[in-house]
Amino acid sequence: MSTPVFSVDGLWKVFGPKADRVPADPELTALPAAELRTRTGCTAAVRDVSFGVRKGEVFVVMGLSGSGKSTLVRCLTRLIEPTAGTIAIDGEDVRAMDKARLRELRRHRAAMVFQHFGLLPHRTVLDNVAYGLEIQGVGRAERREKAAEVVAKVGLTGLEQRRPGQLSGGQQQRVGLARALAVDPEVLLFDEPFSALDPLIRREMQEEVVRLHRDEGRTMVFITHDLNEALKLGDRIALMRDGRIVQLGTPEEIVGSPADDYVREFVRDVPREQVMTVRTAMRPASAEEAGAGPAVAPAATVSEAIEAVARNGGPVRVVDAGRCLGVVDSEGLLGVVAGTAPRKEVA
Amino acid sequence: MATVTASAPRALPAVLKNRVIAKLALLALAAAILVPLANARWASGSWPDALTVDLTQPLTSASDWIIDNRDSHPLFLYFFGHISNGVVLSVRAVYLALLTIGWAGVTALGAFLAWRVAGVRLALGTAAAFLACGLLGMWVPTMQTLALMVVAVLASVVVGALLGLAAGLSDRMDRALRPVLDTMQVLPAFAYLLPVVLVFGIGVPAAVLATVVYAAPPMARLTALGLRGADKGVLEAVESLGATSRQRLLTARIPLARKELLLGLNQTIMMALSMAVIASVIGAGGLGDRVYQALASVDVGAALAAGIPIVLLAVVLDRVTAAAGSGTGDRPRAGWPYALAAAAAVAVAGRLLGRTEWPDAWNVNIAEPVNRAVDWMTAHLYSGVPVIGGTADWAGHFTTWVLDPLRDGLQWLPWWSVLLIVAALAWLIGTWRTALTAVLAMAAIGVLGVWEPSLDTLSQVLAAVAVTLVLGFATGIAAARSERFERALRPVLDVFQTMPQFVYLIPVVALFGVGRAPAVAAAVVYALPAVVRITAQGLRQVDPAALESARSLGATSGQQLRQVQLPLARRSLLLAVNQGVVLVLAVVIIGGLVGGGALGYDVVFGLAQGDLATGLVAGAAIVCLGLMLDRVTQPTERRTKKGA
Repeated sequence: MSTPVFSVDGLWKVFGPKADRVPADPELTALPAAELRTRTGCTAAVRDVSFGVRKGEVFVVMGLSGSGKSTLVRCLTRLIEPTAGTIAIDGEDVRAMDKARLRELRRHRAAMVFQHFGLLPHRTVLDNVAYGLEIQGVGRAERREKAAEVVAKVGLTGLEQRRPGQLSGGQQQRVGLARALAVDPEVLLFDEPFSALDPLIRREMQEEVVRLHRDEGRTMVFITHDLNEALKLGDRIALMRDGRIVQLGTPEEIVGSPADDYVREFVRDVPREQVMTVRTAMRPASAEEAGAGPAVAPAATVSEAIEAVARNGGPVRVVDAGRCLGVVDSEGLLGVVAGTAPRKEVA
Repeated sequence: MATVTASAPRALPAVLKNRVIAKLALLALAAAILVPLANARWASGSWPDALTVDLTQPLTSASDWIIDNRDSHPLFLYFFGHISNGVVLSVRAVYLALLTIGWAGVTALGAFLAWRVAGVRLALGTAAAFLACGLLGMWVPTMQTLALMVVAVLASVVVGALLGLAAGLSDRMDRALRPVLDTMQVLPAFAYLLPVVLVFGIGVPAAVLATVVYAAPPMARLTALGLRGADKGVLEAVESLGATSRQRLLTARIPLARKELLLGLNQTIMMALSMAVIASVIGAGGLGDRVYQALASVDVGAALAAGIPIVLLAVVLDRVTAAAGSGTGDRPRAGWPYALAAAAAVAVAGRLLGRTEWPDAWNVNIAEPVNRAVDWMTAHLYSGVPVIGGTADWAGHFTTWVLDPLRDGLQWLPWWSVLLIVAALAWLIGTWRTALTAVLAMAAIGVLGVWEPSLDTLSQVLAAVAVTLVLGFATGIAAARSERFERALRPVLDVFQTMPQFVYLIPVVALFGVGRAPAVAAAVVYALPAVVRITAQGLRQVDPAALESARSLGATSGQQLRQVQLPLARRSLLLAVNQGVVLVLAVVIIGGLVGGGALGYDVVFGLAQGDLATGLVAGAAIVCLGLMLDRVTQPTERRTKKGA
């Protein structure tokens, strides 16, 4: 496997006086947050976090407010200076970068979309989108042309001359997205981009991101506090609590085999049939079952399989490239929905 | 019995826990120790002579030294001399340019500028204002004032913006500058006159520099405020795109602070006009000088003829710059080259026709009819009007029954008790820090040896503040309760708040003659709009949810006012008091020009007689008095931050 786009190892961010000593001292690192605060006056927002973001995936960091997720994503481009640990982008040490190199990173390699948009109110939509290119020193005509292209891509055609104040929240976030896309970054960082939007607009924007990812295959790091959003968008999800990653895995792993009670509680109300794939519900096929009958793909969700089983009136084959992997029947599917199915290895 | 013993130990700490009582108790303790000591050594009603330092001698010799060396010492030759020459040359250049363009050209260009930034209505208003200045026969003084203003405002904006930039970008600079700027903001304009006169002598350079020193702080404050108040989210987004700090400043921070910058420009222009008029006392010339001369000979008509252009100038400048700042107004986007060409054509046409000077034939002499009206008033309204008495009678009564007892009472109080009262008030309203500053400022007045005149000024301030607050709170409450009343009041307040302090002296002299009462009346009229406005705003901003819940519980409107609105608007009311005190002091001091006496008179006297030492001491006392009054009425800083 190729080197991860971002690889983070043992990352700490501690706010407070003499923050440096906290990650270095095993006694302090073992303390819970409240005690650390009374003992040292410091708050550890990110504690010993390690993960790798693979090329082309959507990596979601999920957690409730105060879990350290927004701090974490800002550490990636050093908008917040980490306290300890290593961050590498394509194998290059981010913490060792000097100012110019860091600017280079922010200009070309990682662009961010913010919860509260962060648009410049005195500029038009077009100039806001072109802003990143302007910072890089791209000429006026060229950057406007590029910006117009991106504006069209995010569906804002016709609004180029408006100002941010004249747009709805969803439109403003499209501008934010376009601004990040305009610099053609290697990685897109999203910091709770849709939290401030209405539910309907939020879904629309999520679909926009899914579409963009499908079309361009760009690597994305996506921060959210919304579990459904995480499950919908994420190839892999890192679930954070009190600055630590409590579980890192695919949506199916998180929902199907929660690492601890906290995660279990978290995913309790998730409609499992929409997240789990038929692999979880599969049993080996008997000889006559393997031969014929309707088939579903192994990546199909349980709810899709339920529909197929109901229509068929009997077990359905799971077929991958013409090879029958097994069958699912109503019993196995019900077991997944009820959460009582014996846990199976997810391939 | 059991209940008594149980409640007694709880009652005592409860009393001490009450912050007001704890503070007073502590103060009383300090007083009980210090007062007998002080009284034993320096028993005296007034400030003890033993504790004064006579600065007259050193100040006189310093001023003599400066006068002797102004033409020879390198500091003056190579530094102040160049500044002075530069100021004279630039004012002269602007003045000549204005005269060359001619009255038609100036009017057309002014209207064009107003049209560009603020729309058609203000353009017409601007043209009308310029023509009115001409009609009143004040074209040349208006241009003199305008020339001085242009130079002073440019310098103020540059100085203020640079200071503001430094304070906006560096925390240390901000911490150092903020208290200085805050303090400069509360000092009366008169306090700035003497130091510049000491260095530059009476004349245009001194006037311009006093104006710059007075008008630059708001620009600096608002620039820093705007730079610091920029949306953190936007700045973070800009940084995330890899902007250098220079790019961040130029493309984000400064444009984001546009509103504050233009508000700063507006305030600087208004303060500069106010000061440019007052600086006529130190040789500014122009409109202020006409008013000053006219007031000196109690020629109300002539004062009014010069005063009206000042007001027009103020209103036009304020409205145009305010419209630029708010970004409202039907700002035309196209066609400006034609309009500029038209304005230029008017100027050239005027020049070709040889009509650069305002034609005398068009002058409307209002001085004589006004003076006739004033004479009639003097004859019929001054005194002896049945039942209500006359204006002069009122002024006399006010002086005899309010000002005199107040002044005598203050001067009769033992000096240490004055200090104690100041300490107690300042500590109760603010922190021990503000109390300490206030007491030290008051003590400094005593040390300077101007205890008696300062208490005289103080008595006028107190009387004026009392009247202002009674009228201001009543009007403010009425305005907050009645939408219609507020709408009717707003344009009046707008005009009154833009007028320079000096102008207020004209009508009161017409009504009440000269003396302390008219000075107090001018101060009340000057401070009233701000107090009314802050009170009304504070009452209106009270959380509507709290009011609604009070209403749902069946509170009468009186109960709502007393139990919800007034307590919740406490901060605004304190701010109104603070502003009222600061504004009243400024005008009471200027009242020295119309017989207010006391410190203001000392400054004027010092200037007129070339006795700079007396003037400087009085100026220092004014500074101390301003500091003291501001600190005494300054609400606790910490509470402000928590509330915000």
